[in-house]
Formats: sequence, C-alpha cells, structure tokens
Amino acid sequence: MPALNHYLVLSAILFSIGTAGVFLRRNLITILLSIEIMLNAVNLSFVAFGRALGSADGQIIVFFVMTVAAAEAAVGLAIVISLFRHHESLNPDQFTALKW
Amino acid sequence: MIPGLNAIVPMACVTAAAIAAMTAEAFRSPGERMPIAGLGLVGLAGAALATVALWNQNASSFGVVTADNFGLFVTMVLVVVGVLSVAISGPTIERQGLPAGEYYALLLFSVAGMMLMATATDLVVIFLALEVLSLAVYVLTGIRRSAATGAEAALKYFLLGSFSSAFFLYGIAFTYGLTGSTRLDRIGSLLAAQSMAPTPLLWLSVGLLLVGFAFKVSAVPFHMWTPDAYEGAPPAVTGFMSTGVKAAAFAAFARVFLSAFEPLRGDWTPVLWAIAASTMILGTVVGMAQSNVKRMLAYSSIAHGGYLLLALMAGNEIGKGAILFYLLAYAVTNLGAFGVIALLDTAERPNDQVRDYAGLWNTHPGLAALMTIFLLSLGGFPPMAGFVAKWYVFSAAVAAGYNGLAIIGVLTSVVSVFFYLRIVVMMYMTPADAPAVFPAVPRLAGAALVVSAILVFYLGILPARLLDLAAASIGTIF
Repeated sequence: MPALNHYLVLSAILFSIGTAGVFLRRNLITILLSIEIMLNAVNLSFVAFGRALGSADGQIIVFFVMTVAAAEAAVGLAIVISLFRHHESLNPDQFTALKW
Repeated sequence: MIPGLNAIVPMACVTAAAIAAMTAEAFRSPGERMPIAGLGLVGLAGAALATVALWNQNASSFGVVTADNFGLFVTMVLVVVGVLSVAISGPTIERQGLPAGEYYALLLFSVAGMMLMATATDLVVIFLALEVLSLAVYVLTGIRRSAATGAEAALKYFLLGSFSSAFFLYGIAFTYGLTGSTRLDRIGSLLAAQSMAPTPLLWLSVGLLLVGFAFKVSAVPFHMWTPDAYEGAPPAVTGFMSTGVKAAAFAAFARVFLSAFEPLRGDWTPVLWAIAASTMILGTVVGMAQSNVKRMLAYSSIAHGGYLLLALMAGNEIGKGAILFYLLAYAVTNLGAFGVIALLDTAERPNDQVRDYAGLWNTHPGLAALMTIFLLSLGGFPPMAGFVAKWYVFSAAVAAGYNGLAIIGVLTSVVSVFFYLRIVVMMYMTPADAPAVFPAVPRLAGAALVVSAILVFYLGILPARLLDLAAASIGTIF
C-alpha cells in the first residue's frame, strides 16, 4: 500500500518532466502536452492529499482542474493552428517576428 | 433577491452582457451593424450599480466569494477599465475588420473573470477566475488572425501563462495538503495559530504561489512574455490587459499574501524585495532602449508593476490604500495612452514606432495633447494622477522602513521620464518625415479619451476623496 509520500514523489517527478519538456522540446504540440503533464501531476497531488486528509475536496478540485485543462488545450491548439497557417512550422524557434 | 447570491451580482451582469453579445453575433446577418458595444456598456453599468449597492454590505456568496469593500473598489476599477476598453475598441474593430460580437464577448468574459478574481476568498476560485480571464485575453491577443505577429504574441502569452498557472496550481495543492483547506481565512488562522517554524514544504507552496502571481503581474524575472504580448496584440487589447489583468492579479496577490500568508511575512518579504527592485530597474532601463511605443509602454508597465509590489511589500495601512489608488490611477492613464495608440492604428500600418509620432501636434493637436497628459502622468508629473499614486507608494515604503527600495523607486521613475518625454518631444518638435495620413477620430473613442484625461487631472488634483475611499476599503479585510 503506497503512502502519501510515494504519490507526492511521483507527482513531483511528473511535474519536473513536464517542466523540462516545456524548456527542452522544440515542437509546439509536445510543449502543450508537457503543460498537460504538469497539470495532471498537480491533480495527482490533489487526490493524494485529499485521501490523506480524509476529505473529498481534493478529488472535487481535480474536476475543476480537468475542465480548465480542457479549455486551455482548446485555446492553445487554436493558437497553434493559426500560427501554423502563417509559418508552416511548429518549431517555436522560427517565430521571431517579435523580438527586442 | 436571494441574499446568498448578492456578492456575485456584478460579475453576473457582465457575464449576461457577454452572453448577449455572443448571441447577437450569432444572429447577425453578414454586413449588418449591431450596437454590440452598447450591450457591453449596459452590462458594465449594471455591474457598477450593483457595486455601489453592495458597498459596506460585506456580502458573501457560497463562502468563497466575498464582496467586501476592498474587492468592490477593485471591481469599480475594473468597470472603469471595461467601459474605457469598450469605447476605444470601436475603431480597432472597424479598421481591422474584427468580429465585433466575439471581441466584446471575450472582453466582457475576461472582465467577469477579473471581478471574480478580485473578490474570491478561496485559492481554487482564484485559480478558476485567473483562468477565465487569461483564456479570454489569450484569444483577444491573437484576434487579428491575418497578422503573424498577433498569433505569435498569443502563443508566447499562452505558453508562459499556462506554464505559470501550473506552478500556481501546484502551490495551491501544497497549501491544501498542509492546511487541509483552500479558504484564505482558514489558511490564515491555521498558520497564525500554529506559529510553527515554517517547514520546507510550506516555503515551497508559498514560493510556487509567488511564481504564479509574479508571472501574471509581469514581475522580473517572469516578465519575458510582456513585451511580445503587448506589441503583438491590437493596441486596444493591450490597454485592456495591461490595466485589467494587473488590477485583478494585484487584488488577489494582496489578498492572498496579506491575509492568508501574513504570518509568514518575514519569510516572503526578502524575496519580494529582490523581485520589486529588479522589476523597477529592468522595466525602466530596458524601456529606454525601445523604438516601438507599445513595447516601450510594456516595459513601463513592468516598472509600474514594481511600484505596486513596493506598496504590497510595505503592507501597512498607507501601502494597502496606495495599491488601490495606484491601480485606479494607472488604469485611466494607461488606457488613455493605449487609446491614442489605437486611434492612430490603421489596417495598413500600425503607426506604433516612436518615429511615427513625429509632427503629430501639427496633424492631430487634440490627440497629441491627450497623449502628453497620459505620458506625463505615467512619468509621475504633478498635478497628474501618476504623481499622487507614486507619492503614496513611496511614502508607504518609507513608513514601512524600506528606504532603499523607495530610493530605487524614485530614481527609476526619474529615469523613466526620459523615455516618456522622448515621445512628447517627437510629437511637438520633430517635423514629420512624410505627411502621415491618420484616420479620423470616432466620437465615442474621442470622448473616452477626454474622460480619461479629466480623470487623470481629477485624481491628481483632488485625490483626497478617493484616497479616503481606498483607505476605508482596506479596513474591511486584513
């Protein structure tokens, strides 16, 4: 039976993987996926904390987060499509119209 | 009315107007003109009335939204931001051929999210409000689909924004795990009662929340998205997001850190000290090097965020009142400045280089005079709103013993005058390269700019009334 610590460590690992993905990957879709991984890592913490505290709040919050994540994915993909129409590329290094 | 719903009436009015705008767009036949902006103004007027009616009532809905005077003051600022944004958006929508219904619906949904964020007293609701307002603003940033810069700005804003929300949410998760609640009052009383040595996990949760807020108020080192997003978005949207998002984010920032995490004050102030100092310095220094007016005002907005952080850190009575007053003064001033930029913006040319302002005094003396007022107020000249706002922030900082930061603040605001005056000099003293053709000024937008200019002078010359109001508002919480 895994304890709270195990869940939290797994969640931290997933969150770090997501963070690293945002910085290291050079494809917009993968970056969006990395952000989803981060949000789901947080969901795991919420569920684990909720279970450890014996309250249902943690589980309920996850539903809200999932809704937000879905809305974010919709907006994010729409922006990616509109950008792809202009640049024919998904590599963020190519988007340099705005620069200091 | 059901008393339990009172606190959410202002945002309900704005949401209803947003839904009406969206529906109107759906039923609009192609080419038909509809007074959709009017719908938005009606909704905002309703929100203003509700705010006045709720004043001093301390209404609470569902236990997570509290319309205390602090929240209501910010709600009022947001109504002003909403009305001015709707008024200056007209020319942009017409010239760029943007879908009016979608534009206003998104703008109003975003205002509703901001109001919710300013009055929420639960971390999860603050997160949801943050997402409601951010998602709408991401889309507004990229609403000029024909422009590659718009999409790029939207992408940068979206990626960094959602990335930071994940950090913010992780902070909420840890806070929930440690205190068993997401309500600000319960977190605050628990932390105060335990008076324990803060555990590393608690530091982590405060740090993550701080990162989330710092991104939203574009504090250094989390400011990278600001210049790009501000430059790529249509100027009316930039004015809206630089003032509205900042007001909502600072309201929630103050609420969370000055009520729930007040017991840990000694731990987060040193971090905030460094953030505030670097924000003021970087915003000013990099702002000087800009040749694009929108980008320059983006750095100016970063620097102004630094002054607000200074007031937040001071955290004393003057400081809390100064935050509210500063948000209002900054809102009318900055929206005015972006309103002028929006009026000069055409479908063919954005006209947003400093060079483009050469000789504006000869072609558009009215716009040039208004722009001068707004820029001088941003720079903190008396007798404009910006001067009084900065005065109160710096006196709060000195009263709280942050003399070093106050000195940095005064110095940076003196240096910042340089780049505001650069535009003024350009408008009055430099002859235009070519006779630039600027479009005519529509009546509603022109009126909005004049009203902002009057407000800038009113807040600068007779600030006592509003300062009293701001001071009275902070008495209800913290």
